[in-house]
Formats: sequence, structure tokens, C-alpha cells
Amino acid sequence: MHAAASLLNSSNLSLRFASQTQTRLSPWIAAPSSVRLPLNRSQNYRIALPPLHSTVSGDSTQPQQMASADVKAQDPRIAGISSAIRVIPDFPKPGIMFQDITTLLLDTKAFRDTIDLFVERYKDKNISVVAGIEARGFIFGPPIALAIGAKFVPMRKPKKLPGEVISEEYSLEYGKDVMEMHVGAVQAGERALIVDDLVATGGTLSAAIRLLERVGVHVVECACVIELPELKGRERLGEKPLFVLVS
Amino acid sequence: MFAAENGLRGDPRLQGISKAIRVVPDFPIPGIMFQDITTLLLDHKAFKDTVDIFVDRYRDMGISVVAGIEARGFVFGPSIALAIGAKFVPLRKPNKLPGEVISEAYVLEYGTDRLEMHVGAIEPGERALVIDDLVATGGTLSAAVRLLERMGAEVVECACVVGLPEVRVRLVVASSLLHLCKMALGLKLLLLLDKSSQFHITGTTQT
Repeated sequence: MHAAASLLNSSNLSLRFASQTQTRLSPWIAAPSSVRLPLNRSQNYRIALPPLHSTVSGDSTQPQQMASADVKAQDPRIAGISSAIRVIPDFPKPGIMFQDITTLLLDTKAFRDTIDLFVERYKDKNISVVAGIEARGFIFGPPIALAIGAKFVPMRKPKKLPGEVISEEYSLEYGKDVMEMHVGAVQAGERALIVDDLVATGGTLSAAIRLLERVGVHVVECACVIELPELKGRERLGEKPLFVLVS
Repeated sequence: MFAAENGLRGDPRLQGISKAIRVVPDFPIPGIMFQDITTLLLDHKAFKDTVDIFVDRYRDMGISVVAGIEARGFVFGPSIALAIGAKFVPLRKPNKLPGEVISEAYVLEYGTDRLEMHVGAIEPGERALVIDDLVATGGTLSAAVRLLERMGAEVVECACVVGLPEVRVRLVVASSLLHLCKMALGLKLLLLLDKSSQFHITGTTQT
């Protein structure tokens, strides 16, 4: 554990997966890095990767799903993005393998590619709202919003937003937290994208979806850089599509 | 130092940006007129203009690092960084950044707080820009500058969308006290909007 930790904290920030550590994420960690999107995982991507030219929630036939998965699997930018993310063991507490996107932000090409991949996906989807979850969603959301012509709406911890807000409670591993959004930031009928750096259990994303839907907004999709599939966030989001770059 | 003084006076984009910022009275405590930039973010043109003005200024200055102060600095900094080809470095409250960090204390009205930066995020000699939405006393910006300078970076400028009256007072005072107030003098500061004149008029912004 300590050897792996010191290796990961070294200057070799391209090391994507820890080795030989026993954590609750170990099945995911053990996945070979050379197989970014093995075909037998396409099931997880049916919702995330509908055929390229249909609406996000449209049905897709099996051959098209496989084709979409192949297209994404072959996107050469994904490998660079994935390898720019560093894993910090035992943060914020023992047993957690923390996915640190700050190293991605230091790699100008990989950060640019990350935003481009999202912008390419959403620019023709008539999205007028990008909602970003505090605080790392504030890093990825605004560049996407600016590029696709949408407004940016910050979803914040309690008491940060001035003026009138609506709030939504959500569960944490231990206890609860509250997410807030400004009243009047969005209008009923608008089409929204929710952005965060990572989806784990899906609790935070679900709270954001509820906030937007309470005021009549249609959440088209949730978009994250990273998914931790073992924590089943995709299932918690149910019918709401989730798109990720790295999982 | 202020947009007008820096030759941005008359930039037609500034008026739209100023109009898009709303003032919320008595937040977070009575007596504070809070400059709320979230309404600017809802105005796509004004938000884009804000980023464009910063990008136009900084793209040819050889800046390789944009450091943004949590959390509203995260809203403006990355877009600027992406446009000028710089990396983005988040400066965060304690215990948010994983791995090895350096930290710097700064003074609040009551008590102190700390700002942290990752070790290894920047290298000595890099030219850096610090971004936040607003500057009031300059305490947070000064802590940010100290963090970057401790790692050997040269802070080219601090850039904020809005400046509040305390800033102008501190900087005016400092410039007449010849190096006594290193904090104020150390800040090379660009503000798009100087709200000091509006502060004393009424509870609403007159733009």
C-alpha cells in the first residue's frame, strides 16, 4: 500500500491505476489500462452512447450501439485524458482511491480534449442550460456552456448563493447534505445538461436533477469526466442518461 | 489598475457585463451589498465578453499558469486558461486537494482562513495569472500570490471581474506609504468593473 502510494505521488503522473492494493474499488482498478472500453461493457454504454445523430433518449438498435461504442473506444483523445488523471490512495479517508482531475487541468491538450469531447456531443442538442455542481463542476461546466451557447448555473452547497434559492436534500455515505439553486436561473421548458467531474453513487447528480425538474426543466443528460461503475451511479440515475469519458 | 485606467475605458462590452451583475443587499450579513456574478453567467453574451476581455489582454503575455481561487475563480479561470494555452491550477480551501499541498493563511474580518495549492502544479519561473470573481480587501488574492511565489512563479497580474471600494482605498494608501503595505503593492490588479463609486449611492446598481 505504501509503495503504491509513493509511486502514485511521484512525478510520474501518468500512472492511472494503482497496483496490488486492496480497496473496495479493486475490481475496477484491476481492469487493464490498454482496454479502455472493452466490448463486453457496451451494455453500460447503451444509455450513454446512443447513435450519434439521434436524440439522446432515442432507441437504438444493437448494431448501432456497438458502432457507437466502437467510435468512442477508438477516440484517440480518451487515452490521453485518462492517463492525465492521477489516483491518490486513502483520500479523503483510508480505502478510498481518489480520482484527482487536477493533473488533467495541468495538461493543456488533455483538458482541451475533455472539453471538446463534451462540446462535440452537446452543441447541436439545443441545450440552453449547463448546470455545474460545486466545486469541480465549475471547472468543466462553464467552458462547455460558453462553447455551446448555453447559460451556466452553479449548483451550490448551502448558504453560498445570495438571494432566493430552492434546495434539495440528498444522502451521503454517512448523513445528508443539501444542494441549492437560484430561483429564476432557469425557466420551465429549458433543456439542461448537468456537469460534474466524477459520478460515484449518483446521489449528487440525482439531487441536481430533482432541483431542475422541480422547476420544469428537461434534463437531457448528465456528463462527467469519470465514472466509478462499482458504485452504481448509473443505476441510481435510472432513466436519466449519463455520459462519461473514462470509467 | 482598473479597467478604465488600463485603457479598457469605453470598451462597449463592459457596460453589458456591469448590467448583468446583480447586487443582493445584506448578504451574507446585514450591511454588505453582495456583488452576485451568477446573473452574469446566465447572460451568455456578457459571460463570453468577460472571458474574451481577459483573453485578449493575457494571450500574448507568455502566461503558462492560470490560478483560480475557489470557488467563483473556477468559473472564470479555466476558460481563460484554455484560450491562452495555459494550465489551470485550483487554489482551494483546506483539505480539499488530495496529495501534497502547500498552504498560506490569510486574514478574515474575524479570524483567519487558509488557501492551498498542489506541490508540483507549477515550476519555478512560470508566469502566472490569478483569477477571482471579486476583490474586496485583497486578503485572498495576496495569499494566492504568496503561494505562487513560494513555488517560484512570477505573478504577472491578478484579474477580477469586480473590485470593491476597500481595494482602491488600500492601494491608494499603500502607494503613498512607500512599501509599507507589501500586500497591496504586491498586487498588480486588473478589474473590469470598479464598484466603488456605486457603493455609496443607493442599494441598487445604477449602470
